Amino acid sequence: MEAIDSAIDPLRDFAKSSVRLVQRCHKPDRKEFTKVAVRTAIGFVVMGFVGFFVKLVFIPINNIIVGSS
Amino acid sequence: MGGGFRVLHLVRPFLAFLPEVQSADRKVPFREKVIYTVISLFIFLVCSQLPLYGIHSTTGADPFYWMRVILASNRGTVMELGITPIVTSGLVMQLLAGSKIIEVDNNVREDRALLNGAQKLLGILIAIGEAVAYVLSGMYGPVGQLGVGNAILIILQLFFAGIIVICLDELLQKGYGLGSGISLFIATNICESIIWKAFSPTTINTGRGAEFEGAVIALFHMLITKSNKVAALRQAFYRQNLPNVTNLLATVLIFLIVIYFQGFRVVLPVRSKNARGQQGSYPIKLFYTSNMPIILQSALVSNLYFISQLLYRKFSGNFFVNLLGQWKESEYSGQSIPVSGLAYLITAPASFSDMAAHPFHALFYIVFMLTACALFSKTWIEVSGSSARDVAKQLKEQQMVMPGHRESNLQKELNRYIPTAAAFGGVCIGALTVLADFMGAIGSGTGILLAVTIIYQYFETFEKEKASELGFFGF
Repeated sequence: MEAIDSAIDPLRDFAKSSVRLVQRCHKPDRKEFTKVAVRTAIGFVVMGFVGFFVKLVFIPINNIIVGSS
Repeated sequence: MGGGFRVLHLVRPFLAFLPEVQSADRKVPFREKVIYTVISLFIFLVCSQLPLYGIHSTTGADPFYWMRVILASNRGTVMELGITPIVTSGLVMQLLAGSKIIEVDNNVREDRALLNGAQKLLGILIAIGEAVAYVLSGMYGPVGQLGVGNAILIILQLFFAGIIVICLDELLQKGYGLGSGISLFIATNICESIIWKAFSPTTINTGRGAEFEGAVIALFHMLITKSNKVAALRQAFYRQNLPNVTNLLATVLIFLIVIYFQGFRVVLPVRSKNARGQQGSYPIKLFYTSNMPIILQSALVSNLYFISQLLYRKFSGNFFVNLLGQWKESEYSGQSIPVSGLAYLITAPASFSDMAAHPFHALFYIVFMLTACALFSKTWIEVSGSSARDVAKQLKEQQMVMPGHRESNLQKELNRYIPTAAAFGGVCIGALTVLADFMGAIGSGTGILLAVTIIYQYFETFEKEKASELGFFGF
């Protein structure tokens, strides 16, 4: 039991600290969340499509390059 | 200088030879920064699509398949090495400096220059080493078939690509662009991968006839061409071995969850000792170490995979090698997949049903993920100079105090939050990754976590830049 306690105690302390941390945390409200979500989504889509179109353009180019060698 | 010999001085003779981007000698306008960033990104993307000249073939199992996501590399292209050289050298230098193996005084300008030079030199050496290893290991076909000329050509191409990445990142870091090149390239690679899986126009034959790879394209195509709409919908949502609409929805869900948790933070009030009444705050985020735990965990797993595959290929009869991992080629993707051993246990179960069928595997994987992320996160704050002690020191140097606390208690107060935020944040990151993988999100949990946290950081940088720009105009 001593061994189990010495293993469980740190975990219990950690769990307690984590709970306290989360309770203390400022959490985003709906407005804040929506704002960040939209912005990040835009960034995501822009970056994604830039890469997407470069890849799309290079498929035929690569076929020509590789095909000739 | 102090009397003692210093390892960092070994780098001095090489400084003259290293390619270097001149520091910006003036304030670069925001618009110019955006342009530089976009140009750098474009150069990177083009290199990611240019095929290597002289390679014999890229068929066969790709031992780096598991690492491609976080290393922004593409098989068979000039950008095969991706950002590996620069990331590896960065991590190594960070570890050496953080653990005091290398003595660096950040207040001495020469030390900073030498450290940067050392990191760059190491990156170049790693690029050369990896290029040679790729060729000799037969990644592009047996060396005998390639011939010496082509082998050297391939090594040179990979080497120069490594130099390009190093210089692009330095360009952005030196004030010409926004944020860091590494983050930009990783995030774009991941976003592209996800968008590609959603909208790819290429067709793949999986035994049900030719199908579009892209989940959205396939959805519309099936609805249009199949007479039985219900069956078409079900197939679009649940088809196997190719991206489907459920995967896409899972990706969106994980995306939203990550953004929500990004907003969690403990805000500690701080006040300047000088300017009277100037109030501020120091936020400690739940994701204190951001995406670093998942990067380190992925790197660990990827390296273990690589070693395991290498050993299995040559010594598949050995007991310990089999214990480390046994591999089998997937009939669909042609990639090697771990089927038993340690490598298998730390691989994400393919689905919830797979999890139910192998409960021990699932449990082991979850515990491993959470523990590894927590430990990496906790370790990282010490190594990267963002522990409570380091933060307290920074605030002191900036003449900041916390109202209601004596100066000597600042570190103690920070200690109540920072280690817990780091460890628990790491656990949350691990949990989100596990959740994403189980739900079959496109691009893997690791990828989504990385992309979202990087883009989030970019917008924070964006906001700061814009604020200072407007402030400049306002002034």
